[in-house]
Amino acid sequence: MASLLVENISKRFGNFDALSDVSIRVEEGSFCVLLGPSGCGKSTLLNIIAGLIPQDGGRVIVDGESVDPLSPRERDVAMVFQSYALYPHMTVAQNLGFGLKMRKVPKHVIQEKIQEAANLLGIEELLNRKPRELSGGQRQRVAMGRALVRRPRLFLFDEPLSNLDARLRANVRMELKRIHQRIKGTVIYVTHDQIEAMTLGDSVVVMKAGRIHQSGPPRVIYERPADKFVATFIGFPEMNFLKGTVLDRQGTFLFEGNGFTMDLGLLQMNDPSGDWELGLRPEDIQIHPQRTTPLEIDVEIVSNIGSETVVNGRLGPETINIIAPKDTTLKPGDRASISVAPERIHRFRNGVRA
Amino acid sequence: MTHQGREKIELLTLSILRIIGIVFFIIISAFPLYWMILSSFKALEELLMNPGALGIDFRGVTLEAYRQVLFDHGFIQYISNSAYVSTLTVVLSLTLAMIGAYASTRLRFRGRAFMSYSILVIYMFPAIVLVIPLYVVFSRMGLRDSLHILILVYLAQTLPVALYMLRSYFRSLPVEIEYAGLTDGCTRLGVIWRIIIPLSAPALATVALYTFMIAWNEFLFAFMFLDSPEKFTLSRGVVQLAGSVHLSKQLVMAASVLVTFPIVILFLVFERHLVRGLAAGAMKG
Repeated sequence: MASLLVENISKRFGNFDALSDVSIRVEEGSFCVLLGPSGCGKSTLLNIIAGLIPQDGGRVIVDGESVDPLSPRERDVAMVFQSYALYPHMTVAQNLGFGLKMRKVPKHVIQEKIQEAANLLGIEELLNRKPRELSGGQRQRVAMGRALVRRPRLFLFDEPLSNLDARLRANVRMELKRIHQRIKGTVIYVTHDQIEAMTLGDSVVVMKAGRIHQSGPPRVIYERPADKFVATFIGFPEMNFLKGTVLDRQGTFLFEGNGFTMDLGLLQMNDPSGDWELGLRPEDIQIHPQRTTPLEIDVEIVSNIGSETVVNGRLGPETINIIAPKDTTLKPGDRASISVAPERIHRFRNGVRA
Repeated sequence: MTHQGREKIELLTLSILRIIGIVFFIIISAFPLYWMILSSFKALEELLMNPGALGIDFRGVTLEAYRQVLFDHGFIQYISNSAYVSTLTVVLSLTLAMIGAYASTRLRFRGRAFMSYSILVIYMFPAIVLVIPLYVVFSRMGLRDSLHILILVYLAQTLPVALYMLRSYFRSLPVEIEYAGLTDGCTRLGVIWRIIIPLSAPALATVALYTFMIAWNEFLFAFMFLDSPEKFTLSRGVVQLAGSVHLSKQLVMAASVLVTFPIVILFLVFERHLVRGLAAGAMKG
């Protein structure tokens, strides 16, 4: 177990900036998730931390010491790959034990560790099979087991769940959380799945196009997104954005959108000038079928998804998604009114939280 | 005519044509082989009296031709020379091709693309163009009459294709497997030895077989470069035998069988490995 510090890492592939000036800090024993759309450089960063590809600038520091001169072997990291990358010519047991064997661990200890990891993941009966005789879910387990048999300084996970079907993914996700709570270990986990990021991470680093947009605990990322990208990327259905300007009415502020106005209450705004965008999370919007508030929408689509109902409506020219109670009686063509608690309103100017 | 009827006739025609084709190719390829084997087991008088007899007469079977070829005409020496040259060519060619192919697929270095092209350009030089200059060069250097020079030439002949074949195979291996090996604690060489080589077994077997065949069957360079009979390779020996004054066909046939069979046996042994793809199951699948 170790702490990790990534300092000002940059990496170019030809003319493409894969990473620009990326810095992260991961405390010992914590679970850090790198979250972003594909091509944002998160896997590249993981490979740089592992020492598999060299960075162009910046440093990787583990436990206060630079590991840049060290080979992947010497860095003592364990990695789980998206494609699993099992050794096809070895049995599951050999796959699990390979890293220990390479590190000259005595045979009987290797046997013990293999058993231990197999128990942890429930793959005891697969130990003598070859990877090609396993299902996708089983291969995924072996890939994780290969990392878990060792107690490396860092665990690196590169989208380990992305090839599983939705149900299996949810199960393994929970299991991964359980395992981490048990064995601790410093984990850097790459994913494009916001649910994985929110449920697994002690901290989340949101990346796009080789840059970090925000990092922090998942709650903070969700509650106070630093910019429009983070706000859109996290949360489903996506946050609603309303364009407009802000009017100062002696201490209270009024948001003037396209064909509607919204009372921002007593929110403090130092400089209300310029163009604004309000961000409203679908679950923060109250919907009133009796039209008891001044802000009215036209209901267009009503989708019942079991636990709740997603109402898709139109506020002036803007579409707006709202999560309504599952027993709502609204139907397309209805008019309803909405309201949002002022403290739940996210304000963005020039795409950045203000 | 109904649609079904037409389909039947088409199928019938095709299957007849197929059988004719197969029979034709079996005859032109298997018949010389059959006659060669048959003749090698006959006594000289019988062969001279009735060279066209194709039936097998077990009373007339004799191993006399093989005894003579092996012990009186020095073929034991030729076989061991050929085995030496071919085996060493295979070992060297595989080793060099593997390292070269790995480097050109996985490592980035200056001139990588140029190297890839030049590999094939070398292969496109016909041997006959090279043999005379090489003859002159090696004669002047006093290196001509040597099996090792032959091995060097065979290496130059087989390496380009060996490199090419291995390279395309290595490209098909996912790089993540190597990454996994590196983080699991292997060195670069360890990855090649413990992961790449076991995974490439089918490709290596194919290349080995191909290289062995080239070296074993090669005649032109052996004919030009080798002077002393104790250094002759098999193909060179057969020609020597065929050209000698007392023309005894059954001896030449026995010698030809000795040239042919090791390759056939090798192919049967390796065949199983050629078809099997080992990489199945590495990836998510």
